[in-house]
Amino acid sequence: MALSKSEDNMDNMKPTLQHTLEEFKDCADILHRTLPETGIDMVFFEHLVGSDQFTRDVAIPFMDANGDDVKRLLNRSQYEEMNTNKPFIKAILEGAVAIFHNDRSYVVYVSKPEARSIQQSETEAIITGPHDSFNEVAEINMSLIRRRVKSSHLKSILLEVGEVTKTRVYVLYLDDLANMEYVNELQSRIEKIEIDSVLDGNMLVQYIDDFPNSIFPLIPTTERVDAAVSRLVAGRIIVVVDGSPSVISAPASFFEFFSSPDDYYQRWMLGTATRLLRFIAFIITVTFTAMYVSVTTFHYEMIPEDLLLTLTESRSRVPFPPIYEALLLEATIELLREAGARLPTKIGQTIGIVGGIVIGQAAVQAGLTSNILIIAVASSAIASFVIPSYVMSASIRLIRFGLIILASVLGNLGLMMGIVMVIIHLAGLTSLKASYLTPIAPMNVKDWRDVFIRSPFAWLKERPSMSKSPNMRRNKMKQ
Amino acid sequence: MAKEKLYPFHVTILTYMTQTGVVMLSLPRILAENFGYNGWMALIGLSGIAALNIFIISLVYRLGKGKSIFQIMEMSLPKFVLYPLYSFIACIWAVTGCIVAKNYVSIFQMISFNTTHVMLLKIMVDILVYFLVIKGIYNISKALTSFYWVTSWMYLILFFYFKDFEWARMTPFFFSGETHFVEGSMSVFTSFIGYELSLLLFPYVEKGKKFMRAVQIGNLLTTLTYIIICFICFGFYSFEQLKLMVYPMLDLLSYIKLPFIERIDNLLFAFFLFTTVSTIAMYIWASQEIVKRMIPKAKVKVIVILIIMAVFFIAWIPDTIPEIGEWLQYLGYTDTVIAFGLPLMLIAILLVNKRARQ
Repeated sequence: MALSKSEDNMDNMKPTLQHTLEEFKDCADILHRTLPETGIDMVFFEHLVGSDQFTRDVAIPFMDANGDDVKRLLNRSQYEEMNTNKPFIKAILEGAVAIFHNDRSYVVYVSKPEARSIQQSETEAIITGPHDSFNEVAEINMSLIRRRVKSSHLKSILLEVGEVTKTRVYVLYLDDLANMEYVNELQSRIEKIEIDSVLDGNMLVQYIDDFPNSIFPLIPTTERVDAAVSRLVAGRIIVVVDGSPSVISAPASFFEFFSSPDDYYQRWMLGTATRLLRFIAFIITVTFTAMYVSVTTFHYEMIPEDLLLTLTESRSRVPFPPIYEALLLEATIELLREAGARLPTKIGQTIGIVGGIVIGQAAVQAGLTSNILIIAVASSAIASFVIPSYVMSASIRLIRFGLIILASVLGNLGLMMGIVMVIIHLAGLTSLKASYLTPIAPMNVKDWRDVFIRSPFAWLKERPSMSKSPNMRRNKMKQ
Repeated sequence: MAKEKLYPFHVTILTYMTQTGVVMLSLPRILAENFGYNGWMALIGLSGIAALNIFIISLVYRLGKGKSIFQIMEMSLPKFVLYPLYSFIACIWAVTGCIVAKNYVSIFQMISFNTTHVMLLKIMVDILVYFLVIKGIYNISKALTSFYWVTSWMYLILFFYFKDFEWARMTPFFFSGETHFVEGSMSVFTSFIGYELSLLLFPYVEKGKKFMRAVQIGNLLTTLTYIIICFICFGFYSFEQLKLMVYPMLDLLSYIKLPFIERIDNLLFAFFLFTTVSTIAMYIWASQEIVKRMIPKAKVKVIVILIIMAVFFIAWIPDTIPEIGEWLQYLGYTDTVIAFGLPLMLIAILLVNKRARQ
């Protein structure tokens, strides 16, 4: 916000009661209390202050005090004397009580943020493992992390983003495990943001990532404490944004979006199988419907004779070319998904019935789509939900539409052209200047043990190469 | 953060992906036509010649202490000699790239899109190449490495042919029947061409001996792939049949049958797009590097788009697949001359300079 010259001067002046009240003029929720017997004035927002704590620690001591007691009280370390206006006003906005006494001004923090209780994450549900997740208060989130990482090496940098909202942002890293180049880069990117408000971690990510125009998310966010901590220990940097349950971790590779904390809480073979399943799901999501369109438009010869009969039978009643049929159904599925996401759970069930029975069954009976397409579209939709990161799965679903259109124009060649284009795009991406396709390119076979499969813990001896950690060794376990 | 360098593994993949391509499809026939029975063995000797050529390139790298070839040439050649030479090499490489593209799309048009104009398909491929080349060599290498992994599973297809492979077709006769050794060697050798682009990689690689070894390994990987495919073709088809097939490998692919899918030759051929785009991108990139050296102020994007557009019109000239084949043949010969001639010339310059300094 541009400040006028006089406002700028006021910022550096000594705080006074008059100016403070002037500043908060027309704020109906500001409270001004006077204790005439001790000459004390207090200014604060009642709803930002914990009332019990205020009464116990501030109101009662000052009410009982006489002239000398007041001086002694104000000398206590929790009362911070302020000499300039700007931080003084900011402190009041953050929930401090401002105290004026004999031309001097103090603040004392008795704030108590309103917070949702710690609950399970709805977007990243897991079966086994810790169920707590972050909530909207940065300090609570910090406490959740600190409680899990009892190390003095866990450092935090406090930054502020949003010129109006002044959102607190903490950058966390383990100082002997994280690469300081990444820390500095991330810090400078956050400092450079010039915007009135940042309301969520996923929003902050878009201001700091390397390619804001890419369809792929380059920096993951998580609501799960264990996931955030595991990334911290892997040498990544964590960013906690006040007001958002989504915690950012950077840098990250494309393949990280396919792993879930669950993988580590199961036996390694199961973890590996699940992880491979997700990559297969990725291929199905991207190619299934496009393959259907390609085969039914250009390459009927690819279908074996027995299957061909079934396919032609189900296609025979459909009056449209495969591309319309496919887009119609894909769009319907997307509508259902979006409607399901926005509606309350109780009504959400209706969507399942309407979508599953009415649209699915009726569309086939009415001759608008073929059975086999429904299977293709449904399985690729289900496969897309297997991908643990919601943001990534949404990106992949969008790419699918491009591939379907290309397949309808040039068949298998078009499909392959689409895939080539996606890979070319991916190859150019970086996350915090580290290659997005690590460990495929640059190639690092050691990393594969924790990317494509989930090896036994005894094999996971090193931190991922992408972290460029000064301390690569993580596990001294013998085989 | 430190500028990324090409690691040896990437150089291997770059070499392999540049060398291999659609030529694989017709290679078994060319071998059968020119080298007679057990013609696949000729690949070993030809690969040896390619390895020798790579060794010559490695001498340039060693003598020049990693200096780029432009720096070496500009040390002693005047501009009026250099610029025509640069232009010639840039043209040949750019045209090679674009004819490779035309060859690929023409075959695809033949098998699947008989009514689509071939140049329309080519425009699509060119767009992909443009987006790849403008990203610079480091990102090209990352993309090519990913391409390699996307296509590497295709080796598994080879297991399909175990059942119908007959050792009896591997006769005890070597190189007998009607043979054309010189002509055959020349045309088969063009399928190894592509490693010469490593000359341009000098400034982008990690310094050390590993770089040239990586190129050699890339060449070996290509050789191995060719040998396996040709060996299977020689054991799968009878010798006379092999001589009559235009694209024996394409027929090999169409033989695969799974319960839910068959005739996947056009799908698998679509996978060849990965290696084809790699080859084209590398040649266009090489050409771009030279043009950039001649006009340092020009923007890379502009150079690439101009090169692609210029050669697009050249690609219009050859019309039929045999014609394209002929073009590829002659371009291959010229590339071979460049592949041997350029490093030899560079060595000569380096030696003369060294002596002059002493």
